[in-house]
Amino acid sequence: MTTVPPEGAPVRAQPPRRRRLPREWPRFLVLCLLSLLFLAPVYWMISTSFKTEADAIASPVQWWPAHPTLENYRAVLTSPDGNILRWTWNSLFVALTFTVLHVALCALTAYPLARMRFPGRNAWFWFILSSLMIPGIVTLVPTYIMMLNFGWINSFHALIWPGISGVFGVFLLRQFFVGIPRELEEAARLDGAGNFQILWRIILPLSVPSLVTLAVFAFMGSWNNYLWPLYTVTDVDKMTLPVGITTFSQRYTTEYGKLMAATTLAAVPALVAYLIAQRFLEAGLSTTGLKE
Amino acid sequence: MTTTQAPATHAPPGTRRRGSLEPYLYLLPHAALFFMFTVYPIGYGLYISLHRWDLLNNTQTFVGTEFFRNLFTSGTPQFEFFWRTLWNTTFFTLVSVPLLVAAALGLAALLHRPIFGRTFFRAVFFMPGILTVSVMGILWRWMFDNQIGLVNAARDLMTGAPPIAWLSTEGLAWVPIVVGTIWWTVGFNMTLYLAAMSNIPHSLYEAAALDGATGTQQFRFITWPMLTPITLFVVITTALASFQLFGQSLVITNGGPTRSTQSVIQYITEEGFTNSQISSAAAMGFVFGLMMLVLTAAQFRLMARDVQSAEEK
Repeated sequence: MTTVPPEGAPVRAQPPRRRRLPREWPRFLVLCLLSLLFLAPVYWMISTSFKTEADAIASPVQWWPAHPTLENYRAVLTSPDGNILRWTWNSLFVALTFTVLHVALCALTAYPLARMRFPGRNAWFWFILSSLMIPGIVTLVPTYIMMLNFGWINSFHALIWPGISGVFGVFLLRQFFVGIPRELEEAARLDGAGNFQILWRIILPLSVPSLVTLAVFAFMGSWNNYLWPLYTVTDVDKMTLPVGITTFSQRYTTEYGKLMAATTLAAVPALVAYLIAQRFLEAGLSTTGLKE
Repeated sequence: MTTTQAPATHAPPGTRRRGSLEPYLYLLPHAALFFMFTVYPIGYGLYISLHRWDLLNNTQTFVGTEFFRNLFTSGTPQFEFFWRTLWNTTFFTLVSVPLLVAAALGLAALLHRPIFGRTFFRAVFFMPGILTVSVMGILWRWMFDNQIGLVNAARDLMTGAPPIAWLSTEGLAWVPIVVGTIWWTVGFNMTLYLAAMSNIPHSLYEAAALDGATGTQQFRFITWPMLTPITLFVVITTALASFQLFGQSLVITNGGPTRSTQSVIQYITEEGFTNSQISSAAAMGFVFGLMMLVLTAAQFRLMARDVQSAEEK
């Protein structure tokens, strides 16, 4: 991040910035207003989730719950039409399994592509990379039929396997692996280390930032996936959170308090994860395949 | 290169043969899954689209290009709805991409130079993007609710105007979808812009400031030109993402009123999974996929350039 002071000016960075603040107040004000606009929907969601049904639709609007209640949360968590905790667990299980398998698979593939010499290396790399050009919609229907044939409809297999051989992760890790200095590898090789040991002991530990970036992307992708689980998993008990929450909203379309309690509950895991992973996420975003 | 000789010198005899097979063993698991879930489905999809697929009886009759021809023969429902929903999606892309790029650039420009609370602001603009599309959709459907939505309430509060039926008026139904999408995704592009801006050499600004250039002039003559490559990238990726419109319109308006906000992907899934017209949906997937290929190729070129620059290191 940019907060690291440049060499030779470590202590002096603070006071000038503070003195500059008054001159910057229009920009600061604009940012505050925009932030309010951005936060308003989230505030509205959370505050409504604590309102009674009458207060939720009261006119004029109630900015603050007049009769705060946890009833909506109780109703949502014990709803017979679907268990939000169950959906969260399903999403978590699917996303974690997917992430671990995907990152391992990508690392295993990126390693020889980046650090070994063998016939067909570049051809294979460009071949799999070219699949990034195939839009997902092309394989949607055939993959669905495959899931039917495998008996994987309404099973987590359908949510985990089809995307596991994604190529972007291979690309990302290969680009990172290529940049690791040869000397480290050669020293280990002199000590008798094999290829796998070099991958495990040298390449992977040095690649933690890019591995974490890939893991965050993979996890978020799986966690937020909506279209595919919508059609492949229709058993209420096996739904993931994004799908479950929309079936819930279709059923309770006029009970706003409950609806907002449900969406708040669905948003919480993502918010918590974001607060934990924020640094990785934004740092990863700003370095991923973009070096202009 | 010195590295090419290293293995020959250091490798003990015998490892050479093993070494020649080893890379392929590393590639094997991914390759197997890649063939199964990427290469094979493409061919299988073509096969499906050339047959009439009956899910109930599991029988297939070869019909040739009938389902492709349907898409280009006026009068069929496929013709009417495919092109209509494709236009809807294109319209959404044409409206949302300029807004998303401009808003991202604007936010990045506001946040680029140090300011009190910068990390907080960045987080606020980025955060909506972590919500799933269904949470975002439910939230914005309610914000624009015809009767008691916050948008109508705020309008009432400020101007006393009667509520607007956002969700059920053709044309207006796009407003919640576009506004929701901007709120949801602008932080992503903003972050890309911020990263690109921090790569612009400071000396350029210092020189410009010495010459008496104003902030606006500095933006116009330094920041904007230096950002051209990233802008190109942002426009292409945002357009690609906009053409994938699905969840927002499905959750906010359910494609209504009267299919006016239905996206082409929603129509394809409806045709395939709701109407069980599997082959027809597969054919549409191919046709729409081919169109997307052009955009994807442009993005791919930008990425390929990046691979090359890494190769040259």
